[in-house]
Amino acid sequence: MKNDTNSDSSKPKKRRRDEEIEAESSSSDRTLSLEENLTFSDTLVALRIMRAQFPHIDKVSIRPFILQSQLYSSVNDRTQVDRELESLRRERVLRVFKLNTGQDDHAIMFLDDYLNQIECVVKRMEEKKQVNLEVFEWFQTHVLDSKLEPSVGHEELCSLLSIVGKVKDEHISLLINAGILTRQLIDPDMYWFAIPNIGSVLKGLSQGRKEIISFLNRRKYKEMMLALLEKKHLRFSPLDMRFHLRDLIGSGHLKTIHTPTGLVVQISKD
Amino acid sequence: MWKDIGGREAGQIRPNSFANRVKSHRLSTLQLSNYKDIVSPHKGSINSLQVDLTEERYLLSGASDSSVAVYDVQRATDYEGGGHIAKHRSVFVVDKQHEHGHKYAISSAIWYPVDTGLFVTGSYDHYVKVWDTNCTRVVMNFKMPGKVYRTAMSPLAASHMLIAAGTEDVQVRLCDIASGAISQTLSGHRDGIMTVEWSTSSEWILVTGGCDGAIRFWDIRRAGCFRVLDQSQSQLGRRPPLLKRKRPGYKFVRNGPLVASMMVSISKSLSAGQNSSVKPRAPQKRSANGNGVRQSSVGRIPAKGSVRQRLHPGMLSSQDRATAHYGAVTGLKVTEDGMYLLSAGSDSRIRLWDVESGRNTLVNFETVRLQTSKPIQLATTQDPAVVFVPCMTAVKAFDIWSGKTCLTFRGHYEHVNCCCFSSQDQELYTGGNDRQILVWCPSRLISDGVDAGPMQDQDNWSD
Repeated sequence: MKNDTNSDSSKPKKRRRDEEIEAESSSSDRTLSLEENLTFSDTLVALRIMRAQFPHIDKVSIRPFILQSQLYSSVNDRTQVDRELESLRRERVLRVFKLNTGQDDHAIMFLDDYLNQIECVVKRMEEKKQVNLEVFEWFQTHVLDSKLEPSVGHEELCSLLSIVGKVKDEHISLLINAGILTRQLIDPDMYWFAIPNIGSVLKGLSQGRKEIISFLNRRKYKEMMLALLEKKHLRFSPLDMRFHLRDLIGSGHLKTIHTPTGLVVQISKD
Repeated sequence: MWKDIGGREAGQIRPNSFANRVKSHRLSTLQLSNYKDIVSPHKGSINSLQVDLTEERYLLSGASDSSVAVYDVQRATDYEGGGHIAKHRSVFVVDKQHEHGHKYAISSAIWYPVDTGLFVTGSYDHYVKVWDTNCTRVVMNFKMPGKVYRTAMSPLAASHMLIAAGTEDVQVRLCDIASGAISQTLSGHRDGIMTVEWSTSSEWILVTGGCDGAIRFWDIRRAGCFRVLDQSQSQLGRRPPLLKRKRPGYKFVRNGPLVASMMVSISKSLSAGQNSSVKPRAPQKRSANGNGVRQSSVGRIPAKGSVRQRLHPGMLSSQDRATAHYGAVTGLKVTEDGMYLLSAGSDSRIRLWDVESGRNTLVNFETVRLQTSKPIQLATTQDPAVVFVPCMTAVKAFDIWSGKTCLTFRGHYEHVNCCCFSSQDQELYTGGNDRQILVWCPSRLISDGVDAGPMQDQDNWSD
């Protein structure tokens, strides 16, 4: 994907020169404003572009993920988004994970990115001389392939893993320690699939959301021009403003109004 | 409008489509009524509204101050504003002072489906009472083990008179008016039951939604539920695709006992589109295949190791832990043609389910927040085109197939709990925590108020 090479923020000049060479205007760039690129025609196009626009975070190596609420704000028809996501999920192009940050938060990650993420985790564990690392391979080949939903039950997990070898409790604890599985709070027998090493990013996500909402709430009419809001820098979140804005507009906390001078972002009442 | 009438007369437009055109035009102009008002005597929030099913004339409301009131919505009791505004006061009110009245909040008040001679109320004081409307006396009393959240009677019932009551207890109870006793209990839910609805296509099928997030379909002639809706089972579109059906297959597990030669239908996760080779699954119990090919009761082994319980085949569904919503199910509505089910959950999602295949049609209704603590009452139009949902302080009307918001009704001061649509007059009645019942009518000009009461005979001199 050409777009991947463009998301390296440490070489702005080179990127801009590449931009001029590239004919498509839809390639990602921080110089292109959110206002012009708010909506896309297709879910897969939206996913790829948002994946390329994922901000680079220091100290944490995390592959790009997209929130489902960002998709809702990027494509006009929500039902179409749901249905296309479902067919992409069934074709094993991407995976959907349920996050614990909000009532209905889901993260979407392309399958290759997810497998890369697991590889990073495995490598780090190897350095620490962990044993029983074969369970990650079993997990990748058997569980991920057959279980496409965001959750899995304990019995099913054990039976899928035990196709290859004998599964012990230590294997499952290793998976949980790596961050690939998390227990469900409501049901002790079920696990959620999770993205490893995502904890600090999720914390930044909730804090960033709160910051933007409180900033807009303090203003007199609870609104601001999108072009100006986009340039603000967030203090508490490693993710950039564009990421948060797409997410908040999609989940309904903010709404956009078309005015003669451009888009205005306003806190939506109920 | 006149052109349409001419077309109907000449036979160019069929009668049904003419009626539908008029109805949908009136629906699109719904707004807070400026000529009709219902005066509510309640001193507590209104929890339940229902217009009677036979004539759509009497509106029954139940409130949190243990009062029940009936209003005639077609004939006004008196007129105000120079004869322009029709006020509908209650025909009668029953409240706490009644010797057999409820003591705590009434959560559900419904009419007896056959005629308006009886109505049934369910309350947080653990009782379900059947009242005689004409004498306003309690005819029958059923004691429940917990707070009653919802009661429902089947509008199609020809051979039974059962009231289904959903309480904070995990079992659904069916109370029989004919015998005066609780005739059946349905078990399967793992937490309290917030909503109960009878199917509109069969008098034996009951749908319940629980606080555990599961929606179960029960056939009351059998034990156990025959379907649990799972939100991950989805179909892309209104009807299920023709060819890709679940097919029976062999199941076997390497480490467990070989259960080959068991024709068990493949469980839900190998749904359409994944026609890969047979995958080893957890050892499944024998499913009761007498229920037809599309049965897929997933019998899982209980948590601790290989202890297998011997369960009645009808009770296998209690092991199925699929959820329809990530929170509690707070509202259910079966469409009048019996083909689709709408469910609202405390995860602020509304889902449309295809009743025949039991799958989520993935229509996305744009809701931000829904009430989570109380059950809400949804309403649909007759040809299911629009669904009315109380969303916090407004009521939103969504197009049922695309999920887009068509209309928003803002008028209540506090949260709206219930709404009821009268398809005969195309009027929407909503009740909320602000103790008001608001009427939303299609707009009409003041000048053509043909039934606007007696106008005073006044001279119009300027003095």
